[in-house]
Amino acid sequence: MNGEVIHNDGRIRVSGRLTLGDLKDVTASLEGISAGNHVLDFSDCTSIDTCIAARIWSITEAKTANGALLEFQGMNQDIKALFDRFRAIDERPQIPVQKHTLLYNFEDIGDKVLATWDTVFGLVTFTGKAFKALFSGKVRGSVVAYYMEQSGVMAIPIVITLNWLMGVVLGYQAGYQMSQFGGELFMPALLAYSICWEIAPMMTAVLVAGRSGSAFAAEIGTMKVRQEVDALEVMGFNISGYLVTPKMLALFLVMPLLITAANFAGMAGGLTAGGIFLKMPAVVYIDALKEALIPFDLYWGIIKGFFFSVIISVTGSYMGIRVRGGPAAVGKATTSAVVVSIFLVIMVDALLSLLFIHIRPGLSL
Amino acid sequence: MSLAFIKLEKSYSAPSGKSFKVLGPIDLTVKNGEFVCLLGPTGCGKTTLLRIISGLEQADSGKINRGAGRLGYVFQQGALFPWMNIESNVMFPLKATGMAGSLCRLKAEEILDLVGLYEFRKSFPHELSGGMQQRTALARGLVTGPDLLLLDEPFASLDTRTGINLQEMLRNLCRKLSTTVIFVTHNIEEAVYLSDRIVVMGHRPGRIVRDESLSLEWPRNRLSSTFTEVLLSFRQTFEELVDLSISS
Repeated sequence: MNGEVIHNDGRIRVSGRLTLGDLKDVTASLEGISAGNHVLDFSDCTSIDTCIAARIWSITEAKTANGALLEFQGMNQDIKALFDRFRAIDERPQIPVQKHTLLYNFEDIGDKVLATWDTVFGLVTFTGKAFKALFSGKVRGSVVAYYMEQSGVMAIPIVITLNWLMGVVLGYQAGYQMSQFGGELFMPALLAYSICWEIAPMMTAVLVAGRSGSAFAAEIGTMKVRQEVDALEVMGFNISGYLVTPKMLALFLVMPLLITAANFAGMAGGLTAGGIFLKMPAVVYIDALKEALIPFDLYWGIIKGFFFSVIISVTGSYMGIRVRGGPAAVGKATTSAVVVSIFLVIMVDALLSLLFIHIRPGLSL
Repeated sequence: MSLAFIKLEKSYSAPSGKSFKVLGPIDLTVKNGEFVCLLGPTGCGKTTLLRIISGLEQADSGKINRGAGRLGYVFQQGALFPWMNIESNVMFPLKATGMAGSLCRLKAEEILDLVGLYEFRKSFPHELSGGMQQRTALARGLVTGPDLLLLDEPFASLDTRTGINLQEMLRNLCRKLSTTVIFVTHNIEEAVYLSDRIVVMGHRPGRIVRDESLSLEWPRNRLSSTFTEVLLSFRQTFEELVDLSISS
């Protein structure tokens, strides 16, 4: 510690060479200033550390705001120049903070609507390009097989496990409610309809969107960041044909199979729940299923699977191709891929369910 | 391949919705077989101009007259495909032209031999040093025998010695193949060493502030007084531009 700060009846004498070691003393001396007039005397101060000067300046400003008046005296040229720079910073015109007025909020909503429209338009155009490439280009079988393995074969354990669990939960809950009025025998039908019409296709789509949709976005996004997509484009490759259609075709082939597996896993879950909680013999459960289901119920999952596969593969790829900037953008793209895919899957599922009521044999409102 | 830009302009939209002009108007003509360096500070639109020439981006207005012919592009980070070995990476642009596999391999081996990577043809990019990866990228850019080769700061991330070696290799290969080259850099020495002509670009919006053909003899000696004189002259222009951009 080289400098000294002496507080004496409204006059604060700063002397010596103030360095960072004096920060604590300087702060304590200045914090003790009460309201009224004070003089900060730098006559015996030879030099001052920028950090100490900044602290003196900030405390002075705070005290001035609280009614004290501090006058700086006896500063040498260097110290004066330092405080002049702080003053210049303070005197800079403040950038007005934009208030969230009603107009601002409307503009904000408008911007978001435009951004959403931009995404929707981009996604539709991208889907069109992907289909055009699918029908006009050469399909690389090995790449399709690779994605079929990644998105299909590798997803089987999780799809089966989760759908079986859903079957158990649904079977137990439906059985419990129905047992209240002696209708346990209707549980298999209720469960089978729920699983085949909605739960299995939807759960599978959500899982595939989370596993494969995000992977597609991350893969293409990383390629984009590393300029590999640009390199392909410059070489004359059709990006949709090279990067998107193998993924789309692979999901198109594996998704219906995954949904079929999910259907059976869900119904097996119902069988487990029926056996454990309702003491229902397996033969009774299976007979009830045979009576309730028609082949169309299983085909319906496959039909939904075709739609969902296109949504997930195209959305994942589109979010990847939209990546701009660095690796952080890839993370955002994967999140967007999953969120938008699931949103679109649910929307299309709702539309298909409306259609389903009119086209399933033996079903009428 | 000759090239001409007429009043080329490009703007981008900021996240705030405001549009800001990054380029133009640019008027430039590049002669067939010419080696042109686009020299300028970071952010002056050199890469954008290169991307417009290659067709990766579209200009908002103006016109590009580009003769017909093959195009090669060497990216700053190489942009090699990590799942392919060196040979496959180099063969890849040839496959896009529909060339038979055996001929592709022959051509790839030939160019890999020229850049000194024949022995490493079965290695993957991550197994090679930065300099070797850039040589591979150069080989990939040149393998199709392009009429126009675009290079975007290809040696920026390399150490000085490796950079100098690659500069010499690039210059010799391009002279041998009579390729028209547009080379983007912010390295003045690199530009003076390599080019027939240096086009200096200024900031906001990117525009041409100096366009000069160099009369330095080949082979160029970096230690010669004439080389240093040209270098200093461009350094002065460059520093004026950087000062201008900092003050603005």
